[in-house]
Amino acid sequence: MSDLQIFVILSGIVLTVLIAWYFWFAPKAQTLATVSASGAQEVAVTVKGGYTPDVIVVQKGRPVRFTFTRQESAACSERVLFPDFNKSAALPEGEQVTLEFTPDQPGEYGFQCQMGMLRGKLIVE
Amino acid sequence: MTVHDPVCGMELEPQSAFAKREHMGQTFYFCSQSCVDQFDKDPHHYVMTSATTGFNPQATLTRIELPVSGMPLKEHSTHLESTLRAVDGVDEVKANVSTGRLEIQYDAQKVDVARLVGTVKSGGFQVGGTKVRIGIENLRCASCVKFIEDELNATQGVLNATVNIATQEATVDYLPQNTTLSELNKAIETWGYKPRPGTSDAPVDKQEDAHAREYRKLMNKFWFAAAISVFVMITAYYQVMPILSDWSMDSLRLLWGVTALLALPVMFWSGSDFFTGAWAAFQHRSANMNTLIALGTGAAWLYSTFAILFPSVFPEGTSEPFFDVVTVVIALVVLGQALELRAKGQSSSAIKKLLGLQAKTARVIRDGKEMDLPVEEVLVGDVIQVRPGEKVPVDGVIVEGSSSVDESMLTGESIPASKKVGDEVIGATINKTGAFKFRATKVGKDTALAQIVKMVQDAQDSKAPIARLADTVSGYFVPIVMILAVWTFVIWFVVGPQPQFVYALVTSVTVLIIACPCALGLATPMSLMVGIGKGAENGILIRSGEALQTARAIQIVVLDKTGTITKGKPELTDVILSDQSIAKDDELLRLASSVEKVSEHPLAQAIVEGAQARKLTLAEVKDFEAIPGHGVSAKVENKHLLIGNLKLMNREKIVLGSLEEKSKSLADDGKTPMFIALDGKAAGIIAVADTVKEDSAEAIKSLQDLGIEVVMITGDNRRTAEAIARKVGVTRVLAEVLPEDKAKNVQQLQAEGKKVAMVGDGINDAPALAQANVGLAIGTGTDVAIEASDITLIKGSLKGVVTAIEVSRATMKNIYQNLVGAFFYNVLGLPVAMGLLFPFFGVLLSPLIAGAAMAFSSVTVVGNANRLRGFKPRFSVK
Repeated sequence: MSDLQIFVILSGIVLTVLIAWYFWFAPKAQTLATVSASGAQEVAVTVKGGYTPDVIVVQKGRPVRFTFTRQESAACSERVLFPDFNKSAALPEGEQVTLEFTPDQPGEYGFQCQMGMLRGKLIVE
Repeated sequence: MTVHDPVCGMELEPQSAFAKREHMGQTFYFCSQSCVDQFDKDPHHYVMTSATTGFNPQATLTRIELPVSGMPLKEHSTHLESTLRAVDGVDEVKANVSTGRLEIQYDAQKVDVARLVGTVKSGGFQVGGTKVRIGIENLRCASCVKFIEDELNATQGVLNATVNIATQEATVDYLPQNTTLSELNKAIETWGYKPRPGTSDAPVDKQEDAHAREYRKLMNKFWFAAAISVFVMITAYYQVMPILSDWSMDSLRLLWGVTALLALPVMFWSGSDFFTGAWAAFQHRSANMNTLIALGTGAAWLYSTFAILFPSVFPEGTSEPFFDVVTVVIALVVLGQALELRAKGQSSSAIKKLLGLQAKTARVIRDGKEMDLPVEEVLVGDVIQVRPGEKVPVDGVIVEGSSSVDESMLTGESIPASKKVGDEVIGATINKTGAFKFRATKVGKDTALAQIVKMVQDAQDSKAPIARLADTVSGYFVPIVMILAVWTFVIWFVVGPQPQFVYALVTSVTVLIIACPCALGLATPMSLMVGIGKGAENGILIRSGEALQTARAIQIVVLDKTGTITKGKPELTDVILSDQSIAKDDELLRLASSVEKVSEHPLAQAIVEGAQARKLTLAEVKDFEAIPGHGVSAKVENKHLLIGNLKLMNREKIVLGSLEEKSKSLADDGKTPMFIALDGKAAGIIAVADTVKEDSAEAIKSLQDLGIEVVMITGDNRRTAEAIARKVGVTRVLAEVLPEDKAKNVQQLQAEGKKVAMVGDGINDAPALAQANVGLAIGTGTDVAIEASDITLIKGSLKGVVTAIEVSRATMKNIYQNLVGAFFYNVLGLPVAMGLLFPFFGVLLSPLIAGAAMAFSSVTVVGNANRLRGFKPRFSVK
């Protein structure tokens, strides 16, 4: 086996570990929702190739007000769904769309586009 | 302080302005010569601008009424008032609890409506008003957006206005009592733009607009990529091309250099979404289809460019580029997206049909004047005129006139309902004969139709539990494909044939490209959307994907008797004469119903209606007396009449003879017999019963044909219950069940290990509906918001239960087909792409084929979901 082949095998191992670490195991940055004067927890989310921020931490028992702004025309992201809360909203391009509900149970809930290509996570504490 | 150039709208400092003009007491500043020139041509035009803003510097205080909702105003009014008073510029606030309005006096120079609305909203309230969307033609410059917004926001009655340059639309929240659509259009015109007739606010139309735009964009990108691909393909297969085959390697390399450059706009324009999407996903530590396409085409381009720049690095014969992979794959995947979008548009047709029922305008009478208003501008409390043949625009109560109204679109009742003053009318129904005026009680999103649409849409977006599997898979899918691609490369490089590097690269690029996470992700939602839509078209509102999935596996259907199997309302069934009767049966009925007309007993009404159906004229009644627990006695046409039960007859010592036997057999049939005595002699029996709906037996038969056990549950006595059960073909009867025990009975059936559906009226049966695996509420028309149910049958017939189960089975079958298809596509496609067949058959998949397969796999999924649109229920409702 040549040096080059060994090098390629080792690179393959390193890449595999990197991919697994980067996409699955590395901790993700979390965003805390800000509490407005009315007591609602407010989060502004930009939709462009993904949700920014995509990991959002809120307190249970308080209304959460999401403001989504979709900045792309790709039809994939035209709706955002919170399947666990049975909430969804159409996101016309460039418009601010608010979505409000109150999570009562702590836990991790996903939100996503219709076919699940873009994903985010709502952590209720 | 900055000012605006009135011509171009640019924001500028007065001291740094290019020029200044005074006109009609106002000072204008300009940014450039051309703006001044334009102004000088028609200075008056620009003065008009501010005149339409409704801003009058003389009147310092402005008064506005804001309708608020969302919270009880009564409890929170003091807090809200003081919060608003704290806002600088607010002079006086009064909350009118009874009308739900806030009256605010404010200084328009210090505070604007948007700020007031914001303050109200931050208190947790919502501000009522109308939202309208106005298209703006040829809106190109981003800076104009702000000026149009400001202009609209300064218009009287506007709460909030935003302009969206991407969709070329302004969205305006406004109070219809303070301004009209034409005022808003005028505000846009003052900036020299032409408002388009407001595109419909209906989410489906909006989405269709967006889809049409996106489709055009994708097709442009496709044609561009396709055109470049043709050229690139020619250079890639130079050996078989007439002239190119004679070219030297050096000139070919130069030609390939050109294709390398041509491939760039294909990647970064036609395929820009893949690269931006991949980058955005990467930043979120996630990967999706974009990542795979971007990596695949990116790697192909980098290798190819490197190969033509430094051919000496590669072994002989391996330095040929494959730019064709880059351009053709992008062209195909973009085309696939366009086709997918097209197919998706058809999936939402159910909602479109529902929204199509909505009237567009309403003839509203305000201040004694009739005016045609868009239906969005109708307010609660408005009086609306409806003429024969017109659609009822919103929900309300008739205040003048009468008519018959065709409600078949909502209730399935084919006979028009007669309506008089005080009766409710529902929006989207059609007025047939008379003209009437009604007061709007529900408008906008509160109407029955809007609620149906909302419910269907929410359900379409919900998740079937089966989708969670696909979700879990697709969460890991893309990184796994990337790892597979890495190892494909490594294995081909280490043990593959010569030239190893090229084989390794081509196979790993093929792996990246063939993998299709989209097909997996699309499999469930597309079918769910079509299936739930199909249900709605047939009068079945399925609340969630979960309900739809569970309905498929139902083994027992429990039917409530009263109101579900039966009409829930007693009807006259028999008139029986005694052997030596003094009167004929019509005569007996006429006398009896004359008496019963005075009575308030619910059974009495059935007798009166029975007499009316036979067109009998009722007589006058004297000395009417109700004998509690027994019946009634009265005098009609000088005859003494007794109507009542056996107890009454015994008390009055009336000889019944064979009548007693007959009454028993009537009771065995589930009917309620009442004896009649005329002048102290038994004259006959009148029987009433809650009759079975015409189609109940047929529906129950169909359920049994589907292999479902049908059980009847009722609070009635066993005899009555079994009589009804025999009539409709139900063998298992749970009789004498107290209302509060219905849920327990459902639970006992579940304990047999069966999946149970409960069908009831949604009010008395709520606990049982909630206990069942699937609760189906039989509503009539407007009761769409039946909370306890998973499925609402708006057409009141048991046939809906059959259709609901059929829709569920058809949809779930479709979902399985999609999931299995998408799963096998990937499970088979990936190993082939990795070259698993190569050692045995020498077959290797071309990345071009992989691109085509990937593009059309998701189109196939959407196409299969659309097949569901052809679903026909056993019982057609039309």
